[in-house]
Amino acid sequence: MSIVLVTARQEIKSLRREKLAQALLVVFVGMVSVSSFIGWLTNKNVTAIWQKVKEQGLTTAPNPFANVPALYYLRNTIIYLVLIGALLAIVLGVTSIIRDRKAHTADLILTRPIDSRSYLLGKLMGIELWLAAILGFVTLISWASIALIIGKALAFGDSLRLVAFFSMSLIFLLGFVLLGMICALYSSRETNALLLPISLWSIITFVLPQLGTADHPVSLLNPVPALANQGGAFSILNSIFSPLSTSEQFKKAGSSILQNPDFTGSPTIGIIVLALALMVGTFVLLISKRDRLRRTLDE
Amino acid sequence: MNNTLVIFRKELLDIRRNKFLLLLLTFTLLAVLVSILVSALDFRVKMDAYNKYVLALHSAGSTTVPAPPQLFPLQLLRGSIEYLEILGALFSIVLGYGMIAKEKQKATLGLIFTRPIGRYQFAAGKILALAWTWFLAVLTIFTIVTAVVAVIGNSPLHAIDLYRLLITAGLSWIYLLLWSALAMGLASYTRELGISLVASIVLWLSVVLILPQIGDTMDPDNQVPGGLFHSLQISKKNEVAVLANFAGFDKVRNGIEISSITKHYERSTFAYLGIKDKFNQMPVGFAFSGTLPNLLSLIFGSFGVILFAVLITTRKRLLRR
Repeated sequence: MSIVLVTARQEIKSLRREKLAQALLVVFVGMVSVSSFIGWLTNKNVTAIWQKVKEQGLTTAPNPFANVPALYYLRNTIIYLVLIGALLAIVLGVTSIIRDRKAHTADLILTRPIDSRSYLLGKLMGIELWLAAILGFVTLISWASIALIIGKALAFGDSLRLVAFFSMSLIFLLGFVLLGMICALYSSRETNALLLPISLWSIITFVLPQLGTADHPVSLLNPVPALANQGGAFSILNSIFSPLSTSEQFKKAGSSILQNPDFTGSPTIGIIVLALALMVGTFVLLISKRDRLRRTLDE
Repeated sequence: MNNTLVIFRKELLDIRRNKFLLLLLTFTLLAVLVSILVSALDFRVKMDAYNKYVLALHSAGSTTVPAPPQLFPLQLLRGSIEYLEILGALFSIVLGYGMIAKEKQKATLGLIFTRPIGRYQFAAGKILALAWTWFLAVLTIFTIVTAVVAVIGNSPLHAIDLYRLLITAGLSWIYLLLWSALAMGLASYTRELGISLVASIVLWLSVVLILPQIGDTMDPDNQVPGGLFHSLQISKKNEVAVLANFAGFDKVRNGIEISSITKHYERSTFAYLGIKDKFNQMPVGFAFSGTLPNLLSLIFGSFGVILFAVLITTRKRLLRR
């Protein structure tokens, strides 16, 4: 069996023992599972409010949620992927490298005629398979939740969109796995290895979008992607920083795929940005010197 | 010298030598400042748009002058407070966790406890060091923030504004100390350090990000861009009357929000700074009475967590195998 596959298999085994990853996984799956119901409950409440307002003759406007697409109920899932999913991915990446550096496993493994790039690629593949299995499970839960809410099976086209959305989520999450792995390779302390990518995640998720949209950090947790502020220097800042915020690009592409009526636009640019981030991350990981894997941690 | 003071001084020395911590605090300060600059720039854009609109009206022969957008300098701090809520809390966890983690990792606990240290002196010294560190950090952040707001706010800060900023700084200090004390308590409580870090980060994620996000998501007015009631052209008076029929749902939504200590911090500071329209340009006493439950929750919550950290960080618990 090739070294990539052996390492991937070992990585999957090790991931089953990681406590932080498991805790975040429970929160992630739990939140994604209930997100459809939160969306459904809220829509039901808004419709009841609209009916009341209409009965009292206070509005002639149509129900804002009449004829929303079935996948609309999943819009909060985008945010849980940006928040919990990305942090889970970072933790997976960091622990994958730190585990070896702490136990000096790499010292032993790299005495064999093994290319460190194959070893790192194997680790990445292990995490990718693990994440793919989780996202597959989450896809099934989401499909069943929506089917329960709308009272019938999801149409074939919607099911395909659901699969496309979670496939794109895998690309998005792998970018953060790579960020975690790279930070863990270059950090001298375990705490720094975890905090550095989390700090970078906060820049990607909150600071960069804010520079182009003037939206406040908490507003950026809204599932609807922030719109560029067209005045002053904002349009220039947005064109510079928007492509760097993979979280915002993921929100845009996700909203488009899930047919969120509050967002109009194509998912193409978002998917290209996510794929580019994945390629750059993989490149940086693979050009890392093998000594990085063997460096002892300072604590 | 009192043992508590010895530990307090030793901790301050450790913190001063920790370059990574300094980097994190600098990062928080930068995020806070960038947010103010972006808000100021956003206001300038709105003002330019207003001037162009007025000019167009004049050119069309209209004598009507619409009300210009008003700048309230303290409202520029909204994003900054949100950064303290999110990033400040995360970095507070790092500081609090590090207080115990370094002792466990370097196996210095055994040595420290060979000395005749009182039951709670060790914990008290550490909590004092955390309180002093956050006091200095918050003082630095708010001094710089005040200077930046005074310069770019285009309107002078009055004594009452400084008073509001002082109260906000005090609340921020309490909030940040809470997270550090929680992480310290958890690091002492668990046998394995990794578990305490897991618990702290999961708590941070749930309390700071997830619970407020669920509450926000369930708010009917947040369901439509621009606001549900605005889109339905409903006046504020009618909105209140209609929502009275849905008190049960709002109670659940509010309950989810206020189960997060972060929301109490946010509601209090937003009221004192006048970020929430209801409290803008109103006396401080009005903000105080309007958010008293939030203030009390924040203070008693922090007191409870600090007490937990002190009671749990004992020789017996730290040295158990």
